[in-house]
Amino acid sequence: MRGLLPYAVILAAVLVLPFVANDYWAVIGARAAVYWVLVAGLNLVVGYGGQLAIGWVALLTLGSYTAAILVARFDLSPFLAYGAGGVVGALAGVVVGLPALRLRTFYFAMTTLGFATIVTQVALSWQSVTGGGIGLPGPSLEAPFDSPWGFYLLTMGFAAVVTWMTANVASSRWGRSLVAIRDAEVAAEATGISKARLLTIVFLFAGFTAGVAGGLFGTLQSYITPDAFTFDLSVTFFIAILIGGRGSILGPLLGNVLLTLLPEFAAPLVAWSTFLYATLLLAIVLLMPGGIAAVLDFRNRKPLESHRSIVPRPDRVAALVDHGPVRDDIILRNVVLAFGGVRAIDGLDITIKAGAVHGLIGPNGSGKTTTLNVISGYYEPQEGEAFLGTRVLPHGKPQARSAMGIARTFQTPRVIGEASVLQNVMIGATIDGRASFMESALTLPRHRSDEKRLTARAMDALAVVGLESLAPVRADRLQHSELRFVEIARALCGRPAFLLLDEPAAGLSTDEITRLGSLIKAVAAAGTGVLLVEHHADLIFDICDQVTVLNLGKELAAGTPAEIRSHKEVVSAYLGA
Amino acid sequence: MLAAILAAGLAVGAVYALIGVTYNIMFSASRVMSFTSGQMGMLGGVLGTLCISRLGLPIIPGFVLAMAGCAAIGVVTEVIAVRPVLKALDQHLYVLSTLGFALMIQTFTAIEFSTEPQPFPRLIGIGEGGPWDEKFWLPVVACFATIGGLELLYRRTLVGRAFLAIAEDNFAARALGLPERNLRMASFALAGAVGGLAGFAGGELLMAFFANGAMLNFFGFVPVALGGLGNNKGAVIGGLALGVFQQAANFLMGGVVASVAVFAVFIVVLLVAPQGLFGAPAARRV
Amino acid sequence: MTISRRTLLGSTTAALAMPAIARHGLAAEPIRIGWLATFTGPLSAPTIGFDRGVQYATALINGAGGVNGRMIEIVSRDTQGDPTKAVNATQDVISRQKVHAIFGPANSGELLATTPIMAKAKMPSLVPGVVNSLIDPVKFPNAFRVTPSNQQWDGAVRRYCKDILKAKKIAITADATGYGTSAHDDSMASFKADGFDIVYDGVIDPAQPDVTPDLLRARNAGAEVLVSWTVSSGMAARMMNARGALNWDVPIAGHPALGTGEIGKLVNKPEYWEKVYQVGYRNCSYGPDGKLPKANADFVAAVKGKFPLSDTSLWWVCSGVDAINLIAEAVAKTGSSDSDKIIGHWNTLTMWPGLYGHYTFTPTQHNGFLDSDVVMSKANSQKDGAFDLAPGYA
Repeated sequence: MRGLLPYAVILAAVLVLPFVANDYWAVIGARAAVYWVLVAGLNLVVGYGGQLAIGWVALLTLGSYTAAILVARFDLSPFLAYGAGGVVGALAGVVVGLPALRLRTFYFAMTTLGFATIVTQVALSWQSVTGGGIGLPGPSLEAPFDSPWGFYLLTMGFAAVVTWMTANVASSRWGRSLVAIRDAEVAAEATGISKARLLTIVFLFAGFTAGVAGGLFGTLQSYITPDAFTFDLSVTFFIAILIGGRGSILGPLLGNVLLTLLPEFAAPLVAWSTFLYATLLLAIVLLMPGGIAAVLDFRNRKPLESHRSIVPRPDRVAALVDHGPVRDDIILRNVVLAFGGVRAIDGLDITIKAGAVHGLIGPNGSGKTTTLNVISGYYEPQEGEAFLGTRVLPHGKPQARSAMGIARTFQTPRVIGEASVLQNVMIGATIDGRASFMESALTLPRHRSDEKRLTARAMDALAVVGLESLAPVRADRLQHSELRFVEIARALCGRPAFLLLDEPAAGLSTDEITRLGSLIKAVAAAGTGVLLVEHHADLIFDICDQVTVLNLGKELAAGTPAEIRSHKEVVSAYLGA
Repeated sequence: MLAAILAAGLAVGAVYALIGVTYNIMFSASRVMSFTSGQMGMLGGVLGTLCISRLGLPIIPGFVLAMAGCAAIGVVTEVIAVRPVLKALDQHLYVLSTLGFALMIQTFTAIEFSTEPQPFPRLIGIGEGGPWDEKFWLPVVACFATIGGLELLYRRTLVGRAFLAIAEDNFAARALGLPERNLRMASFALAGAVGGLAGFAGGELLMAFFANGAMLNFFGFVPVALGGLGNNKGAVIGGLALGVFQQAANFLMGGVVASVAVFAVFIVVLLVAPQGLFGAPAARRV
Repeated sequence: MTISRRTLLGSTTAALAMPAIARHGLAAEPIRIGWLATFTGPLSAPTIGFDRGVQYATALINGAGGVNGRMIEIVSRDTQGDPTKAVNATQDVISRQKVHAIFGPANSGELLATTPIMAKAKMPSLVPGVVNSLIDPVKFPNAFRVTPSNQQWDGAVRRYCKDILKAKKIAITADATGYGTSAHDDSMASFKADGFDIVYDGVIDPAQPDVTPDLLRARNAGAEVLVSWTVSSGMAARMMNARGALNWDVPIAGHPALGTGEIGKLVNKPEYWEKVYQVGYRNCSYGPDGKLPKANADFVAAVKGKFPLSDTSLWWVCSGVDAINLIAEAVAKTGSSDSDKIIGHWNTLTMWPGLYGHYTFTPTQHNGFLDSDVVMSKANSQKDGAFDLAPGYA
């Protein structure tokens, strides 16, 4: 509830302003509100999703012209026209945004920039419709919205709704998924997040708010011409988000207010305003990457207990991972995978039994992690197939694995540093969410039950690995060993049938390794098969039911730990050292 | 008519290509694509005008001073906008830091130099505005001289090979004891000078104008996208092709349709071949 | 006779003011004038001139005791040519600064957005913009144009092409900006309606590095005059350079920007600036005798040494002076700075002799500028901000 306090203060200020200020402040307030309608949506794209769309003014332009044309030429009611502007903005949002799926960051930024230029050019030249350089009047409203304060309250209403919706989205699995593809894209894929689907929805939404903002912008300006939609405006939107801080709603909201007000207070600075914004951008990136939100994040400044120990509770695994009789094995058949001329896996057959711990050892470069990457779908072998029972595991589709019950961790933990530990763990159960994007945005019952269920499950998973006291802490404040357990909790949160662990013991203390061992055993006992890629031979021999030894991409030996320990070639080639 | 279009097209194409090379040099040294690349081109023209027309220096010292200025801005880019964000390369903060710095350069120039295009001095005085005027062939000569020079530098000199080593594998190069930071600064100085040369050689064509920075930033990036990141020959082919295509489209279809056409080609090529037409496939992620 | 009245205004108001000061004392409420302009940014050239006129006229009136004892207070805001900043600034001067009248802003995109806002506030406003649709006494009874309209510019060029250059085949070029595209369309329509043969027309990207191909097409089509509607000095200069390189002696006629000092620096040879005729104003042009009309000559003499004229246009300065005087006179004559009094007074003006031109307003006609005040002048003849009349004018 404490999180709502700043919003309550802002709302109070919004409601008091009409009683204490003149019409000028109504216009400035309405401008801040209209820009916020756009920036709030863009915030999901930039601040949460990390997609650097610097030319978003293009959608403001499109929405603005759509609404203005519909009102001026077809006599549509302004509110319907705003909606139509939103629809056009949404469609264009997808067109502008989707290259993000194929292009690198900088390339994407450039295409949005190009798009912004083109939209203005078209508005300029398509004279019969847009009025060309002379433009056309924006939609004008009837009483009570035709007065400055009436319009102010209307735009504030829009802004409040958009704030509420984006805040809901941000705290839903959609928001968590966005941050995941921003900061841990590979891990996001492993948890089944489809970047294409997610970004399509978010670009639709952000395009819609930008389009609606465009319509309102037309009314605010009373008249629109192409020269109102400058690149400077686009940069202002973008910088407002970054000043505010990525992954925050309140921060960009304040950033937006700041950038709208700044030139009004510092009239002599008008000439230098763009320079000032640019300097701010650079300074924020270099000195304060968290933006305003980080300054306001008091909770994460409280020091953490310094001598923390991780005490997993294996006894609670069974309650979390409750499978029933799923009993499919993972089977690899004659898999061959070469990078260039090097055959990383060279005709491997392996069966990983359900509900058992399967160790995979071998010297560096023997193909252990590569095997794991084939199973989890990141690599596409040239030959051979992978199955889960009788079902084929499609090659090269990591985001399909989660739905098939396969979860994994990474050699270097891939967690979202800026999200809380709890949020990180909830990512693991993303595909179990039922609510659609709009249900989440409007906090409909399905969304609320999702959140309740997933939060409870994530807390259970954290309890299993013994980190529940750190649930609200930003993940980047944790120690390395804790991050390893966070990853395991994230994987368990999806209740997998198989858990693939990539060197989970690396960097752990002896005590922690022992606890990890008993946790893994409990996971297997609860019915989840475990594939353990590890260098610590002791751990492998302690807890595995089956061990496969790889060398040069081929199976050197396979059997129980006891068999392997006495295998002559293994002893001489590997264990002997 | 064809001659006029070809001359102008190849000339602006050569300027675009050189900006593309600027992008490439910066990228090779740091894995960073910088929004300041186009601004270097703008500064080449502005500093050229400042040194020669305003300070009254002879052409050669004026040229050297302008290039030195651009190289210095290149180094500053490295120090304030690139180096601090290198450790978090995967967060793409460089997009923001270089955008910020580029906007600072641009607005500063607009306010302190001029918001109107200023004349660039006539350098040699060959040609009377016809297709063989120096303003058309100077950029082309500069472009090929630069490519040749870079080839020599990379293949024949120790420093050049060290550049290549850094571009190939940063960590390995550092492990070999190469002074990675100094080489990176040198690369940015070189990139600044190449970008400046683009603006200087194209000065008579594009004039000294603050808005050229943003324009070159975009059109200089297109050859990089077409030719593949890091591929200088690809950038030259892409740049010249873009220049001719753009001028032909300008002439045949008029200003607005032409820019739409250029953009459409850019997007389609990118989506069909995100690595560019001559680029290498992406690196492994896991 | 009437013209000298303008120069006397300073002293007339002073005379009117004396008893007023005696009556109200110096504490009388000042007349606040909102002055919205592009002080900085790429479109700032005209503002430099306007502002000198505004400040000069204000200082002159205040120095003589103000209007009815009321000082003039200029409330200026920099809009940078950006319509969003212009809207904010307009509301600022109206609601927070409580001005009595507004002059500006100067760019069409800004004016289109601010005019309805000023109309809503019934704010007496003087419009220094050429776009035709800005003036509509029914929708915007508060707005009075103090420059020629686009139609009048176009008309001056058209008359020059027809009557003096005796041309029939015309090439029309414009830049691909908001102003350029609309001027292009208006001009196409009016030249056609006037019986001209438009053999070539092109909207050109102002950043296009070479316009030779466009000129070649115009030449091949047999154009006898190149009409240019661009505010970009770069593009205008490129056109002159290309024309020179082609050894084509076709005259260029069009937008006043053809004569800005910037172009003198950008043309490759001084003679490339010959045979270029720009829209100009009779009051700010040297006649065949090399002299300005008397009132303007007196003005130039009066300001000599106070501020330079050579780096701006005399008409911009004059327009700034006229704007302040129009407001001051309305307050002086009606004894009130109420908006309906000022608007009412302006609606009665007939051939009001400003430095820039003659203004005539009626309740149904707010395009006040006299057609015959708009003339063509020689683009390369600037001296003290004024130009020689183009050849052919009496």
